[in-house]
Amino acid sequence: MFNLTTSRLLMFLSAALTAGILAIGCNSRRPVDYSSEVKPILNKHCISCHGGVKQSGGFSVLFREEALGNTKSGHPAIIPGDAANSEFIRRLHNKDPKERMPYKAAPLSKEEISILTRWVDEGAKWGEHWAYVSPAKPDYAPPAATAGNAAQNAGEGGVDHYINLKLEEEKLEAAPQADKITLLRRLSLDLTGLPPTEQMMQSFLADNSPDAYEKRVDSLLASPHYGEHWASMWLDLARYADTKGYERDVRRDFWRYRDWVINAFNHDMPYDRFTVEQLAGDLLPNPDNDQLIATAFHRNTMNNDEGGTQDEEFRVAAIIDRVNTTMEVWQGTTIACVQCHSHPYDPFRFEDYYKLMAFLNNTRDEDTFGEHPKLRLYDSVGLRKVDSITAWIKQYGTAGELSETKDFLRTLEPKIHAHNADEYINGELADTKFMAIRHGGSCRVKKVPVNNRNNLLLKYWTGRDGGSLEIRDGGLNGPLVARQSLPKGNRVLDIPITPMEGYRNLYFIFRNSSLGPLESVCNVEWFALRNDLPGKGQPGYKPVETAFMQAVNANPESMPVMWENPTEMFRPTHTFERGNWMVLGEEVKPDVPESLNPFPDKAPRNRLGLAMWITDKNNPLTARVMVNRFWEHLFGIGIVETQEDFGTQGFLPSNPALLDYLSYRFMNTYNWSMKSLLREMVTSEAYKRDSRSSPELQEKDPANRYLARGPRFRLSAEQVRDQALAVSGLLSNKMLGASVMPYQPEGIWQTVWSGDNWKISENGDQYRRAVYTFIKRTAPYPSAITFDASSREVCLQRRIRTNTPLQALVTLNDPVYVEAARSLALRMQESGGQDAKTCIRAGYKRAMYKDIIPGKEAVLEKLYRQAYDKFGKDPKAAAAFLQAPEPKKGMEHLAALTVVANAIMNLDEFLSKS
Amino acid sequence: MHMSEKIIHEANERAAKYFSRRHFLQDCITGLGATALGSLLGGCNIFSGSGSGEMPQSLNPLEPRAPHFPARAKSVIYLHMAGAPSQLELFDYKPELQKLHNQLCPPSILEGKKFAFIRGVPKMLGPQAVFSQHGESRAWVSDHLPHFSKMVDDVSFLKAVQTDQFNHGPAQLFMHTGSARLGRPSIGSWVTYGLGSENSNLPGFVVLTSGGKTPDAGKSVWGSGFLPSVYQGVQCRSKGDPVLYITDPEGMDRDMRYQSIHAINEVNKLEYEAFQDPEILSRISQYELAYKMQISVPGVMDINDEPEYIHQLYGTQPGKEAFANNCLLARKLVEKGVRFVQLFDWGWDTHGTGEDLSIDYGLRNKSREIDKPISALLLDLKQRGLLDETLVVWGGEFGRTPMQENRDGKEMPYLGRDHHVEAFTMWMAGAGIRKGGSWGETDEIGFAAVKGKVAVHDIHATILQQMGFDHEKLTYQFQGRPFRLTDVGGHVIHEILG
Repeated sequence: MFNLTTSRLLMFLSAALTAGILAIGCNSRRPVDYSSEVKPILNKHCISCHGGVKQSGGFSVLFREEALGNTKSGHPAIIPGDAANSEFIRRLHNKDPKERMPYKAAPLSKEEISILTRWVDEGAKWGEHWAYVSPAKPDYAPPAATAGNAAQNAGEGGVDHYINLKLEEEKLEAAPQADKITLLRRLSLDLTGLPPTEQMMQSFLADNSPDAYEKRVDSLLASPHYGEHWASMWLDLARYADTKGYERDVRRDFWRYRDWVINAFNHDMPYDRFTVEQLAGDLLPNPDNDQLIATAFHRNTMNNDEGGTQDEEFRVAAIIDRVNTTMEVWQGTTIACVQCHSHPYDPFRFEDYYKLMAFLNNTRDEDTFGEHPKLRLYDSVGLRKVDSITAWIKQYGTAGELSETKDFLRTLEPKIHAHNADEYINGELADTKFMAIRHGGSCRVKKVPVNNRNNLLLKYWTGRDGGSLEIRDGGLNGPLVARQSLPKGNRVLDIPITPMEGYRNLYFIFRNSSLGPLESVCNVEWFALRNDLPGKGQPGYKPVETAFMQAVNANPESMPVMWENPTEMFRPTHTFERGNWMVLGEEVKPDVPESLNPFPDKAPRNRLGLAMWITDKNNPLTARVMVNRFWEHLFGIGIVETQEDFGTQGFLPSNPALLDYLSYRFMNTYNWSMKSLLREMVTSEAYKRDSRSSPELQEKDPANRYLARGPRFRLSAEQVRDQALAVSGLLSNKMLGASVMPYQPEGIWQTVWSGDNWKISENGDQYRRAVYTFIKRTAPYPSAITFDASSREVCLQRRIRTNTPLQALVTLNDPVYVEAARSLALRMQESGGQDAKTCIRAGYKRAMYKDIIPGKEAVLEKLYRQAYDKFGKDPKAAAAFLQAPEPKKGMEHLAALTVVANAIMNLDEFLSKS
Repeated sequence: MHMSEKIIHEANERAAKYFSRRHFLQDCITGLGATALGSLLGGCNIFSGSGSGEMPQSLNPLEPRAPHFPARAKSVIYLHMAGAPSQLELFDYKPELQKLHNQLCPPSILEGKKFAFIRGVPKMLGPQAVFSQHGESRAWVSDHLPHFSKMVDDVSFLKAVQTDQFNHGPAQLFMHTGSARLGRPSIGSWVTYGLGSENSNLPGFVVLTSGGKTPDAGKSVWGSGFLPSVYQGVQCRSKGDPVLYITDPEGMDRDMRYQSIHAINEVNKLEYEAFQDPEILSRISQYELAYKMQISVPGVMDINDEPEYIHQLYGTQPGKEAFANNCLLARKLVEKGVRFVQLFDWGWDTHGTGEDLSIDYGLRNKSREIDKPISALLLDLKQRGLLDETLVVWGGEFGRTPMQENRDGKEMPYLGRDHHVEAFTMWMAGAGIRKGGSWGETDEIGFAAVKGKVAVHDIHATILQQMGFDHEKLTYQFQGRPFRLTDVGGHVIHEILG
């Protein structure tokens, strides 16, 4: 594909240019470097026909053994050390257009051919892509600490060391430090997502101690708003939302996961633990509720409730999403393409995808409408019941029985869903959700792991008495396993069964002769196999058994979590032929790509092991990807600009030594403490620079990769909202809890098959931070989306910042922002009374913390006058604008101030971090 | 408005300067057009301040751009009947099916098939409409669409369209984004990404809905997926603000808004002088554009000023959320240079579960609601000479079964048909589409496509072709590979091109 190759060209050029590495025309004495010189040429000109997708002529340059192996001709194309006799080189020179490579494209340049020729002559050595080699111990040694130099002690100067080297190389001069006001506003917005409080600004300005800045860094890192801010970053990755997605897109209770993320950031949970708990909290020994809630990270996949959908199709879709998301979030690696074929450019094989999938493919969730498994959060009455049961089992049962019962009460797992039934006679899977069978009808559930258990818990409901169920083994006339009447109601019923060994095909036969020919006996949602509780026959057993069934039948608050299949329900993983889940290939075992770090020796081959592999300090990507992500949020552009792709198609790091230095320190010095890492970044001189640009800087470094100046860019969707509320004094400081609904115009939610409505929150909840806004995937909050927030359908690594007229309309006219302007105007009036000038100065200062310059003041004052005159002539308009019940004398002042406040809150400087 | 012309001029100058510095890059992309610029930067947007590398930061992302080759269509009006209309009552006439009416469906047809709601062995349902042939093309159209039947010589029917999704949400996503999963850009986003917008005072991609609901798949069917959000469809509404937040707060008049935007831009200009950040210039022009949109959108969205004969032609009633109003708006919008107008009309899911959603009643009413407006739209475009450059597409997300629905094996209160993926009818008109054409055939009962099968990606390829794009080359780099609307499929349907 022409487009493809050309796009590679540009990518390579820009990457090469930005990294200051010009691959072409290097010193000829130095050996050719594979990663920076050869691989880009192969990617650009060769690999689209000779790579992971196509291997024309039986030749591929993706892996070394393929490149050196025999081609279709029977001979190898590359003979290491002998370019003259290598077909690979000969073809580059060939004059015959049918022979000459690249086929049907422009020939390679002399320089490119020379690089490839030298490379073959030097032995065709394969180099590793920079990102797949672990960051080495940095060469920078901090100078001995001195008591007087707090700034240096904070970050030890490494960041500036590497940045300054780069600036010298690029012949750029560093800007001086920004003024204190600008600096604290920048710092506060960056660390907490909110502007500083008035008090904090005053105390900072008055503090002349050498560590005045560092003290503010520490107090902002300790602020509870810190977690609220950084959670937003993580929730984009986690594709967190309050609804299930797809057609019905109904609500799901997921906010506890959002709160878990906020708390984890606030408690500075180390990134390795943060990772392990989210990927495999359920597999840790005796996980607590929080550790289970953390696993909801991967339950944020969408769930399809629409009638007629096949659960397995959407379960597989969720697993695929989990594989892609895991690799993207923690490894900055785009692997989605490997679902169908080997990676076109990067060393990931087709099988690697399914080996990774095998880690994630053994959870109990099966896209059921009930979103099982769910963590059950009992109230105090329920907890007392659970405690009485566990106390009993401690007395009479084994440790195994104790943990099995505890797990069951917590999750009602493992259970078997109705969608597993087949061979329906006179019945069917109603609404693709329930086993619904008419009088005398039946169905089969294949390979049920009964394993000598003596109880079957059946979740069903029916509005009619007189029903009964018979369960038979192996056939409709097979041995009787159970017989049970099914009273009217909606419950989990405990049915004694004949213990049998191993796996059985069970036949469920339903009867109720009092029903009409089309009515079903009942709807069955799921069943589970269990044993009687231990201590049966002991005095006091009956009340414990009753308590157990009451607990099972309770309907506590709950939320979806990950839960592993027990061994008896192991789900094998197969490759999908050409990515099609319906066509299974060979079975694969869990494993990690060869091109990355080896799987840790002692790690189990399950999700926990996968998480241990990711957080192993030998993993070359985990730390770099997270460091780069934080960097991008602070500086506006990642050290690797393509945050989402650290592969050979991504950009090269603009400052590789800096990235490795920070990554190494993140793991080894800070033991994965995210706050410490951020602290080192924001205490650097580079972070503190003035953000003024100049024509020269725009010319030399328009994107500010090398940081001669400080960062300046538009605030995020969340910051835009939160800042407006904070500055106007409306912001609610309430933290955590269920999602809220701030003002939204009518008619945004019009979802089919759902009577759900957007109901504006009250009592201050309408003024809570953006991170608490309810997110409906198919109708996300409009003002947030306009500012590039994610609709959380899939993992989003990087929000591309846009600048559009629709954004202007939001901050100008959205009633949320108009109300904020009114509130700011009131505060302006409090400061300046009837004196417009004083009011305007106060308003600007409240927004920007500094004194307004005369030029700007003149503009705003003129606006005030124009509005004042207008409202003076039209008191009704003033009243309407202020939403006052009726016009009052003097209202034109406040109304005109509101117009000015609205303008202030639309200034570029207000909407930007500077 | 002159207030910031100088600044905008400056912004454009600077942009041009950046561009010329990057001339060598432009040379690399000759033959692709500037279209693929986004993909050239590996999925980064060329227009924003982030990720743009050395690219200009203050370019208008909706700047008109040239496609791959001269386009037949300047605009597209896509009429989607959400819920899936029955081809067997509208266009695909099956007298044989009438003979089999009420007989049990032969099991051979059902073998290996899966339906959303049909269970066991259903009965066949004969056409519930009277068909006759119309125009010089002798096209079959039922008496549900008396007005449209006079327009058949302007359209080309596709009678054997197939999809692989039999549920509304995924099928609508597939029809509009080329993928049944969420997260991909919609056709309109692709087109706007490729072409920009001709009218900078209006969004390039406008969505209008009727029928009281948004489509089953929600706003994702006009979402921009992984493309920058500036390319998503802008929903224009019949009630409330025509575009969200376009109306000034109560009590603020146009002059005051002008003065306030003027003040904002004046202060921003001072800020630019201090900071030299081109993004500030971009913000100045975006505020200017916002003001222009405030002026032009309400005007375009107001149909009161249309002459009476136009209202009669369309059957419009100003102020109502109605498909007829949306058809008239669609004409007004393409007249103003909007690239892609997407209409969704909800209420075509005729399972027979209730009167409104039945083949015997609901379908007849829904047909009446669209018949006059659609015919008027075609006529109106034609009389203005716009039909030659406007591609009109009509269809649903799938078709309906020749069998009568028997949900959960039960008889239904009204006549209904289940979702059907194997064959359904769509049509296209205008902008180089053959007049009076028809392509594709189904078997005697309208169950299976037997000739001229058309896949969903073929529809996409054809729309893009008429807009001047090679569907294989309109790509965007995301998650490590170039994505396109047609994924790995798509063939232009040459049989219906004039």
